[in-house]
Amino acid sequence: MTRSELDARLIAIVRKEKTIPEDKLAPETSLADAGIDSLDALTILFAIEEEFGIHIPDGRARSMKTFADMADAVAAELKIEK
Amino acid sequence: MTLSILNSQFSIPPRRRVAITGIGIVSCLGNGAAETLDAVRNARSGIRWLESIDATQLSCRIGGEVPAPAHEGLHRGHDRFTRLALIAAEEAASQANFSALGIDPDRCGCLIGTGLGGCETSDAGYKRIYKEGTTRVMPTTIPWSMYNAAASAISTKYGAKGVAYAVVSACASSAHAIGLAALAIRSGQADAMFAGGADAPLTFGIIRAWESMRVLAADDDPARACRPFSADRKGLVLSEGAAVFVLESLENALRRGQPVLGEILGVGATSDAGHLTDPSADGAARAMRMALADGSIDPREVGYINAHGTATLANDATETRAIKAVFGDHARRIPVSSTKSMHGHAMGASGAIEIATSLIALSAGVIPPTINLDRPDPECDLDYVPNAPRAGSAQYFLSNSFGFGGMNAVVAVRAGSVLSS
Repeated sequence: MTRSELDARLIAIVRKEKTIPEDKLAPETSLADAGIDSLDALTILFAIEEEFGIHIPDGRARSMKTFADMADAVAAELKIEK
Repeated sequence: MTLSILNSQFSIPPRRRVAITGIGIVSCLGNGAAETLDAVRNARSGIRWLESIDATQLSCRIGGEVPAPAHEGLHRGHDRFTRLALIAAEEAASQANFSALGIDPDRCGCLIGTGLGGCETSDAGYKRIYKEGTTRVMPTTIPWSMYNAAASAISTKYGAKGVAYAVVSACASSAHAIGLAALAIRSGQADAMFAGGADAPLTFGIIRAWESMRVLAADDDPARACRPFSADRKGLVLSEGAAVFVLESLENALRRGQPVLGEILGVGATSDAGHLTDPSADGAARAMRMALADGSIDPREVGYINAHGTATLANDATETRAIKAVFGDHARRIPVSSTKSMHGHAMGASGAIEIATSLIALSAGVIPPTINLDRPDPECDLDYVPNAPRAGSAQYFLSNSFGFGGMNAVVAVRAGSVLSS
């Protein structure tokens, strides 16, 4: 899987869990600006972990501020290069 | 300091009256007052074969499920019991014209009773851990399954920022919640309250646990399974649902010209301090007397009793003895019915569902029946309004709720408008 394929799958998971407008899905958008609160973020992360069979460490999960942070964390677990 | 100063300091103001201005209900009989009244008028049971779970491995495969069209797709993002509570709250808020309440949000609260909280969520979590062997559960497991989730959701949705919490006393939970909410308004802690109860216990794990108590009626004909006061009663039928009221001080309802649907007059609450699961006639009788005294109601004025009437061997005979102890000769003249015969036992939501059903029926001139009562138990010898509703009304009625743990709550209600009295 390439990084862009991963990003597309992540966007699909996010949008399944939460209704988010198209223009709020850019990688640098902060989760808060996209209307994702702390409990939403936990739920989305859980769905991602389930989908890929991975576990994002708590420290890394707590420091996620943007979609890019989230995608980087997943890519690191899956060992996908940028 | 002289005694006269003390007296003037502690003079008791007249008691604030508590008006019901909104009623919301969702149960296996349907969503809303109209569907509930239709079921009562037609003596229709809401008990069916379970559909929302795979019940093939269970001995008990019937229950009072809320029909799918009544709840599907509504209020996502919560446990089932909270979704049901939000459905009921919406009807109550709409009827009460809640947006025009005219009360400071700090003085509007929310007390929701539940016996078992978010069963769907906790059941799903346990299934993952113990059955599927996964190491983690949904991050929403804690905040969805907690017992105060429904109270929180209603409080949040309507901006009710005053006193809010869950009330837990098994099958008496919502009766206690309504009683406490009335006391909150009376005491001046709040001017308006959402009050009621919600439970959604029809999960595999909870049904299994009830099966072990050997008090569930498992009948081949679901609609006939729940037979309160009947000689051949086999036990209770689990169900789910919610009922929520908007209560406000009578003065506020009158100030804003809001129609008053009834009044919470008296609250009785006692503990058997006896057995964990065997009910006591004395505890039930004391709760009824307390509700009557609290509401300054002459027992002879009570025109209807909505019984706890679970259809267990223990409850129905004990409750009958308690009613006779309280009302004496008048007991035989009071229509007493168990609407659980139609909507089953919705655990902590029962009291609220039964007060709502009673109010809806009585204000339409209908006394609700006890269905499936062809041959009464000789120990159950009151007028249970068998099998068919009766035309009639009652100015004052009692709603009985007796929970496991020996916790009893009785609410005395005035049905109908209270504008002048």
